[in-house]
Amino acid sequence: MKEISLNILDVAKNSVKAGAALTTITLNETEETLTLIIGDNGCGMSEETVKNVCDPFYTTRTTRKVGLGIPLLKLSAEQTGGSFEIISRSQEDFPDDHGTTVTAVFYKNHIDFTPLGDVVFSIVTLIQGDPDVDFLYTHNMPQGTVSLDTRELRAQLGDISLAEFEIIAWISEYLKEQYAELNA
Amino acid sequence: MTVTELSHAEGFEAVNLSEGDREITGVYIGDLLSWVMGKATSGDSWITIMSNINILAVASLTDCACVILAEGVTLEDDVKTAAQSKGINVISSQLSAYEIALRLNTMINNE
Repeated sequence: MKEISLNILDVAKNSVKAGAALTTITLNETEETLTLIIGDNGCGMSEETVKNVCDPFYTTRTTRKVGLGIPLLKLSAEQTGGSFEIISRSQEDFPDDHGTTVTAVFYKNHIDFTPLGDVVFSIVTLIQGDPDVDFLYTHNMPQGTVSLDTRELRAQLGDISLAEFEIIAWISEYLKEQYAELNA
Repeated sequence: MTVTELSHAEGFEAVNLSEGDREITGVYIGDLLSWVMGKATSGDSWITIMSNINILAVASLTDCACVILAEGVTLEDDVKTAAQSKGINVISSQLSAYEIALRLNTMINNE
């Protein structure tokens, strides 16, 4: 994909689809590397399925016969000399501690590194698309951290949906302000 | 022009011709797979220098007539096997994407 933020959107949606109550999106950035970790407490996958997810002809969709979310993220990371890993514990085998974690490491100085892109847009889109599940977003950079926890927002908002226009607009502004402060 | 006919033309070589009688109706050039996925259309011959297994998925999704590997790019054996089993036509060439497109233009227009 042209931007990593689009990969984030694509892969995090898998977590929501897996029934995750909480999806954790973490970006750890150093001068040289960007590590993306998307973790969830969804239903997880069997060992067999995990083996197959990097195969583009494997998909859980029924509308078409190929799925490229994970294969393209893996390609984007490996193209920069980085790495990709997916670990999953299925609900069947681990009833008390299940879920999936995808980790992709990118080398930022590699010529084939695709920029992070508009990650605020991706986070906001995820929340708007599934306002009833929780997201924890953390972006650690050398100069500081940007974060958002929808569980905290929910506690403050009570019955108001996170998908309300004013709330979505506020979340977007809140994240943008944090970035602006760190980059000032 | 069919994919088999193209594979016989000078400068082109067949890598896999599962459905060699497919007609080539257009050309698309691109290497960013997610982009190609949204832009290439059915019947295109898609010229690329990428060679990982994902190109087969993109070709399948977009219903390309064939993938043309430019500049002498080759496929690993496992990708070649996958092309056979998924029925994706693949042709290779030493030519650049530009030169391939020029030749395709001539061949398609001379029909």
